[in-house]
Amino acid sequence: MRTLTAFMHKEWIESVRTGKITLLALLFVVFGIMNPAAAKLTPWLLKQMASGMAETGLSVSEVRIDALTSWAQFYKNMPMALLIFALAFSGVLTSEYAKGTLIPIVAKGMSRRNILASKGLMTAAYWTVGFWTSYGITYGYNAFFWDNGAAAHLTFTAFGLYAFGLWLISLLLLFSTLADSGSGVILGTVLLLAAVYLLGLLPTLQDYAPVRLLETAKLAAGSGAPSDYAAALAVAAVWIAANIGIAALRFDRKKI
Amino acid sequence: MNDTLILSKVSKSFGGRTVVEGVSFSVSPQTLFGFIGQNGAGKTTTMKMILGLLPADHGEIRVNGEKVSFGQTPTNRHIGYLPDVPEFYGSMTAREYLALCGRITGMNAAQIERKSAELLHLVGLEKAASRIRGFSRGMKQRLGIAQALLNDPSLLICDEPTSALDPLGRKEILELLTLAKQRTAILFSSHILSDVERVCDELVLLHQGKIVRSGTLEQVKSAGRDRIDTLEVEFRSAEELARFRTHFPRSRIETPFTARIEESDEDGILDIMRILAEHQLPAKRIEKLEPSLEELFAETVHG
Repeated sequence: MRTLTAFMHKEWIESVRTGKITLLALLFVVFGIMNPAAAKLTPWLLKQMASGMAETGLSVSEVRIDALTSWAQFYKNMPMALLIFALAFSGVLTSEYAKGTLIPIVAKGMSRRNILASKGLMTAAYWTVGFWTSYGITYGYNAFFWDNGAAAHLTFTAFGLYAFGLWLISLLLLFSTLADSGSGVILGTVLLLAAVYLLGLLPTLQDYAPVRLLETAKLAAGSGAPSDYAAALAVAAVWIAANIGIAALRFDRKKI
Repeated sequence: MNDTLILSKVSKSFGGRTVVEGVSFSVSPQTLFGFIGQNGAGKTTTMKMILGLLPADHGEIRVNGEKVSFGQTPTNRHIGYLPDVPEFYGSMTAREYLALCGRITGMNAAQIERKSAELLHLVGLEKAASRIRGFSRGMKQRLGIAQALLNDPSLLICDEPTSALDPLGRKEILELLTLAKQRTAILFSSHILSDVERVCDELVLLHQGKIVRSGTLEQVKSAGRDRIDTLEVEFRSAEELARFRTHFPRSRIETPFTARIEESDEDGILDIMRILAEHQLPAKRIEKLEPSLEELFAETVHG
């Protein structure tokens, strides 16, 4: 346990001093503010364009802006934040292979499982704090400007996206034990994501594919029930456990 | 049987190419053990097998009596390792890195504090407050020794610790290793033979994955020659040298003032001294030359 926290502490020091934390904080704060800001600016933007459009014969009717508009932005933007996050963490292990920094650590008797666990826990922690920060910021602004009551199943809807992020992180970790370089990790993850996406298009599989968790935004708009996503959540959970298991076995034998 | 490290018939090949073949040796406590060979002789591979970073194909390795296993390697708690080009986390300071190592090996805060201060002083880094990113190679090598000695290992493995350093840096590292020998057994790999001669008690010579010579420094050296000694006599003038040679025609001229004599008889030196005394030749120096490890190595490697 102490070795685990010691290594997590090292991860933290590195993230702070290399500026990764600042970058992540900026990313999630910006992505939190962007959604209500975009919603707030929509009527103004339309008004600016309205005069020009009237000349071409198009008339712009009054648009109704509420919390739902802002939440729709949230679900459209957060996958982009997740993508940037994943790119930033694609080298979480491979950069250490490249530099050889794990060799003295393993030679000191640190168990490889603990190295993997601290990497996984730290990455998941950054995602957790970052994601819910964005959520909190959007929620706060929405409550101030409009009424969050307009959106249904808010927490569950967000949780779907959050869980998808955890699943993606477990894939990054798995590919980090299979590949030797960051680009290998990205390639493996992208190919697997594409395969899951394509399989998710099949009617028999669509309820089970973790990519379905990206569609929870429909819930907020009032269509469907949370139980529609139970199967995809369960599959993601089992898949995360499997990724961690395979990664642990694979990392035991990894040439570092 | 209380050798710190025992290798028995260890072999390893990569893709059909045998890199290490039937290597056996043992290192006893408080011994500086030289592990000598050219680049590519199999030194690093052997060391990585001892650390469980590579699996051995055949044979067995024991550290403090415990068998080494690949992957999960609990025997590493007995070992301190200094890689050939040590890489540490650049954004940490030396003290922070030692604290990380200390916590990994289960030391408490007070022990870490005390040991870090002691070792940073030993390796001369007590005043280095900057981050490791800004360290020179020699500084990293010294931090490497400090981290390797942190948890009082019974075996210290140093992979070519002096190869990348300038003469002054090399001298410092060798002095450090000699000091460290009082606490631990040391396996020291090198292809710089003068370094080995300076500090090692015992050694093995590895060539193309096999051990070709082993023993104490004296044993290895004496095995190299069939008891033929080379004696060298130096005079103060060429004239004296010429006079000496008229009485000792077997000698050959080495430099304008010195002569060399090959002597298989232990008492050969007495004959020379007798001639010097009888003919009133005040030689400046008379010396029995030891074969250098360098010559021995060349002999072994080139046949």
